[in-house]
Amino acid sequence: MTSAPLPRVPHAAGRILDAQLHLMDRQVLDHDGVPVTTVDDLEVSGPALDVEIARGTPPPVITALLTGSVLGTRIFGGRPPSSRLIRIPWKDVAEVGVVVRLGVKGEPLDASWVERWVRDKIIARIPGGRHDPR
Amino acid sequence: MILGDLLGTPVLDADGGRLGRVADVRFVLDGAPHQLMAEPRLLGLVVGPHSAASFMGYERNGLTRPYMIARILRWRHRGSFLVLWEDVAMVGARSVRLRPGFTRYSTALEDGAEA
Repeated sequence: MTSAPLPRVPHAAGRILDAQLHLMDRQVLDHDGVPVTTVDDLEVSGPALDVEIARGTPPPVITALLTGSVLGTRIFGGRPPSSRLIRIPWKDVAEVGVVVRLGVKGEPLDASWVERWVRDKIIARIPGGRHDPR
Repeated sequence: MILGDLLGTPVLDADGGRLGRVADVRFVLDGAPHQLMAEPRLLGLVVGPHSAASFMGYERNGLTRPYMIARILRWRHRGSFLVLWEDVAMVGARSVRLRPGFTRYSTALEDGAEA
């Protein structure tokens, strides 16, 4: 481009996070460093679709990280209905870096139900599957 | 709303002229404080005139290596700009409309070089 360089954004006090660059598809670890899931999408508090935004409307904020079975829709397009996505509330997020770290244990989260189900229904029924290997 | 629905949406100016697509959404961590981290507040939209999405963010940081990849990706995302939330007039299912006289800002991240 031959036009003059664009002005820089007025300085904001907090850390800058670009959704695609810093959050989407990052791995999520719980506070013990155990992998929980990946960030498939984000939920924001607004704005309402197709409604004129009045001047001075407070900006929307991220309310939750979303995860779920998105492999099919990644290949064929679209996204699963909102009700099928699992939410990890933003208040549980402790750190955003190379990975997203939660400040809570991953075990009780909805995001890891498949792993719990496989452990309790399949692995536990294999002889020796209920205790640590010795 | 779900942010993935906004990414890739065409961006129009106040007269309906096409400016590009939403390549990314920029947040700043200065919202209401929670126990662990502050709430990320939407700062603005990164608009890419030539591509539906941004790949690896070379146009926003100061990285120049590997040289060929950096050159190609910077060229592909040439003309990207950031519009602040205050300049967004309407977010629709099919397009985002900006206010008349909106300001284009550089997409460079604070620790990065000029895009």
